[in-house]
Amino acid sequence: MTTGTLIWLCIFGVAALLFFGTAFVIMVIGAGDLKDLLRFTDKKE
Amino acid sequence: MNFQLMDWIILFFYLGFTVFVGLWARKYVENMEGYFVAGRRVKIALGSATLIATEIGIVTFMYLGEIGYVTGFSCFILGIIGFIGFFVIGKTGFIVSGLRRLRVITIPEYYELRYGKGVRLLGGIVLFLAGVLNMGIFLRMDGIFLTEVMGFGPDVLAAVMIMMLLIVVSYTVLGGMFSVVVTDFMQFVVLTFGMLIATLFILNHVSFAEAAEAVTRQYGEEGVNPVTNPRFGWTFIAWYLIASIGASALYQPVASKSFASESPEVGRKLFLVAGLTLSGRYMIPMFWGIAALAMFGPGLNPTTAMPKLLGTVVPSGFLGLMVAGMLAASMSTYSAYLLAWSSVAARDIIAPLSKNGLTEKRTVLLSRIISTTIGVFMLVFGLWYELPATAFHYITITGAMYAAGAFGCIAFGLYWKKANIVGAYASLGFGAFAPLAFLILSQLRDSIPENLHVLIDVNVSGFLSFFLAALGMILGSLATQRSHPPIVLIPKE
Repeated sequence: MTTGTLIWLCIFGVAALLFFGTAFVIMVIGAGDLKDLLRFTDKKE
Repeated sequence: MNFQLMDWIILFFYLGFTVFVGLWARKYVENMEGYFVAGRRVKIALGSATLIATEIGIVTFMYLGEIGYVTGFSCFILGIIGFIGFFVIGKTGFIVSGLRRLRVITIPEYYELRYGKGVRLLGGIVLFLAGVLNMGIFLRMDGIFLTEVMGFGPDVLAAVMIMMLLIVVSYTVLGGMFSVVVTDFMQFVVLTFGMLIATLFILNHVSFAEAAEAVTRQYGEEGVNPVTNPRFGWTFIAWYLIASIGASALYQPVASKSFASESPEVGRKLFLVAGLTLSGRYMIPMFWGIAALAMFGPGLNPTTAMPKLLGTVVPSGFLGLMVAGMLAASMSTYSAYLLAWSSVAARDIIAPLSKNGLTEKRTVLLSRIISTTIGVFMLVFGLWYELPATAFHYITITGAMYAAGAFGCIAFGLYWKKANIVGAYASLGFGAFAPLAFLILSQLRDSIPENLHVLIDVNVSGFLSFFLAALGMILGSLATQRSHPPIVLIPKE
């Protein structure tokens, strides 16, 4: 494995962790946001 | 055939549930703001989920997988540049906060406020045409992905495209932004798990060392260095960086998420949070493409290599889950795009042309009809059009057709007092010129003199579009300050 490929693989690892980590946090907090949005929006008669 | 009974059951259950939820959310559509921007009540996490879900679709996986297959690790630079773009916008609120403060629903609405009705009409037409062209290949790419992953082969491509279209158009047309927000969140969850499943199974078959070895063997230095890679180089990197910072917030489907947020501050932060995921969402499918190179070698059609890999390494049961995740990703993209372009056509093109304007009810109805028409166009265009370069380059060049002019009009409009109507017209026209020339001339490649071949270099064309748009705005405005004094805007919040 060359230095170039090793650097890109490390960057890939960080990027993938950041994606899945942030996505998990968004899922948890976003579910609450969605409930709020629907609770405070009037429905059509 | 890769798809087994269990996969079908999972897929049908998921699709049925999505359509049900999308239609259920209809009851929350109270008025035009409800339909187009969900009443502007979306908070950060939910807004980020819908923004990310909008930005990821099967077409994204396809073009990123394709570019990974043909360029190796070099293409990872796109993820880094995209991250920089979103991070700068998220930190500074560049463009996005200014637009949100003015409470516009579509980008061309800003053109009317700052420059006048004519610019809104022209800007709306350019935005709509570029946006629909950009979306033109989505259905085809999705169809290829599904037929390859499921193992049907190309014969059933048209049938798969029609099925997808019917499902997405139905709930977007009926539900509007509330349906989009609700289903986007659900799809965000499913697509995240779909991506995780796919990545884990790929890594189970192709190690990092094998991927690295395949890239080195096939592409050498060009596989790790984007500057020496002939598909990128400095020209590409420069214009992609400008486009990422200048135009990421200007694309109507993305901008509408920020317009739907509960405040300008939330609109800005959406980009910061979505930016944290950006390099990952680019690099993960790119890595799948590289893994396809390691697994199958360089002899495959680059478009079909990545889906073929997924169909091969993901076992039955998980395949159904993964395809559901990928479809989730696509449906959220389609629904947001259809809503965005139809709102532009109804509010920015047709309404200004109609004598007495349009009522809210008519605008929503018109938008629904236009969404359906765009869907039909995607089907016909997708079956007929042959791509002039990689799908990634097609997507970026059609995006530039609109984004370059929009960048000239909006960035200068918000931050340069001298920007006026003449500059805006020049910016829109000049910005669209180079990408349009590329799309037309690249279809006539053989009959073009050698010295004009620079016009069919996708990277030169993309760079030129932003340069000309800015030049048009500056020269046009400076030359006509007395005859066309600029309009000063006061933010609404």
